[in-house]
Amino acid sequence: MRKIIRVRNLEYVYPDGTKALKGIDLDVFRGESVGLIGPNGAGKSTLLLHLNGIIRGRQGSVEVLGMKVEEKNLIKIRQKVAIVFQEPDDQLFMPTVFDDVAFGPINAGYSEENVREKVKEALEGIRMEGYEKRCSHHLSFGEKKRISLATVLSMQPEILILDEPTSNLDPRARRHLMELLKNFSLTKIVAGHDLELILDICQRVILLDEGKIIANGDATKVLSNKSLMESHGLEVPLSLAA
Amino acid sequence: MHLPEIDKFAHLKSPLHSWDPRVKIISISILILSIVLLKDPRVAFLGLALAIILVFLSKIPFSFVFVHLRWVLFFVLALFVILSLTVPGNLLMRLSFLSISREGVKLSLLISLRAISAVLLIFPMIGTTRFNLSLKALQKIKIPDRLIELLMFTYRYIFVFLDEEKRIFMAANSRGWVRKTNLFTLKTMGNLVGMLLVRSFERTERIRDAMVSRGYSGRLKTLDNLTLCWNDFFKAALVIAGAIMLSLSGWMG
Repeated sequence: MRKIIRVRNLEYVYPDGTKALKGIDLDVFRGESVGLIGPNGAGKSTLLLHLNGIIRGRQGSVEVLGMKVEEKNLIKIRQKVAIVFQEPDDQLFMPTVFDDVAFGPINAGYSEENVREKVKEALEGIRMEGYEKRCSHHLSFGEKKRISLATVLSMQPEILILDEPTSNLDPRARRHLMELLKNFSLTKIVAGHDLELILDICQRVILLDEGKIIANGDATKVLSNKSLMESHGLEVPLSLAA
Repeated sequence: MHLPEIDKFAHLKSPLHSWDPRVKIISISILILSIVLLKDPRVAFLGLALAIILVFLSKIPFSFVFVHLRWVLFFVLALFVILSLTVPGNLLMRLSFLSISREGVKLSLLISLRAISAVLLIFPMIGTTRFNLSLKALQKIKIPDRLIELLMFTYRYIFVFLDEEKRIFMAANSRGWVRKTNLFTLKTMGNLVGMLLVRSFERTERIRDAMVSRGYSGRLKTLDNLTLCWNDFFKAALVIAGAIMLSLSGWMG
């Protein structure tokens, strides 16, 4: 498999001096689904934000699709690396669903016809056709989450990054989202505490704590390691504990 | 929860709803301008009548208009009282030690009529089009991008902000806090509002991240499907004719 993300010795320090990432080395391969787990404040979201250059470390390097994450490559990288943020109200900032889903393709310079096509495809992809004219603030939380997904799918990314994709979702909306995610053949990185979801979707899991990678390996092996999980504030998923 | 939706009745069908928002905004803005420049209260009454006719034609319920107009009416009432009592001129009436001047009443009447008419006209202008389309129309008529972004984000996030405000005050109430007229209430309110601002600021950073990761580079680009037809110009001609008529009536006194 071809390496699609390469992170070497990445360090990041918050403005208040807190070290968020401490020498991260990470490889992600094309078509893989990788789970990123860890307790609160482990540095998961910070690491994800490095992958399309929203924040950049003071030391180390990040390469995506063979391109270094630096100013001159940011436009291309952001078209290829899509991040769906945890809170859908942060992701849906335009007045209507159409405008939100079209935002990425318009910025990428697609023609009007192409933009409309991409919006249609993205909404079909999440089975929410006919929502184009709806106002974002009128959607339910589950609908907002799915539309958030469409806002990045319309950019036809190669890498899909999801930060806590199922947080606050009811079981039905969670199941819907899981089905959708399973059907996407993109490279996926899923960060969060929904370990059942990660076990279901991801082949590999990376355990991050205090800004360092603690474990990196087969999802079932890492997630079923009780002492490892508990020593980092996590628990073995019920389906593996039984 | 009550949401401040100005475009709540944008789905109705009326001559104002079918009017292209660009032409509508320009035409009604001209009418508003002609009304606020009036000097004669009698002509200002005509302006008010025209505004009421446009609200009527827009089919927006007057109850909805009145709910939003009530704050303007409070302001106008306060102005009416202050101006009537403070503007010097011929005595109209004396109430105990207070004297009301004819010029004061005339001026306050004129200002009130102009203010009410202008606010009334906002409803057929903005309330008959979905707000996102009104924003696109403003963009098309070259209103500065920054102002449009400001309006757009205000409209999009006012609902989120109100939800957050509700949650934050609910959290305080659930721990026994009751609004009273004392220093503790003021201090708590200050803290809660401060917290709301901090949360809003944090949200703006997250929204910025979401925008940047989808290619935002400083200018908001959107698609629109606004089309012009002769009917739009005909309606514009009628409204602008009304504005000119009012101005001429004002000049001829």
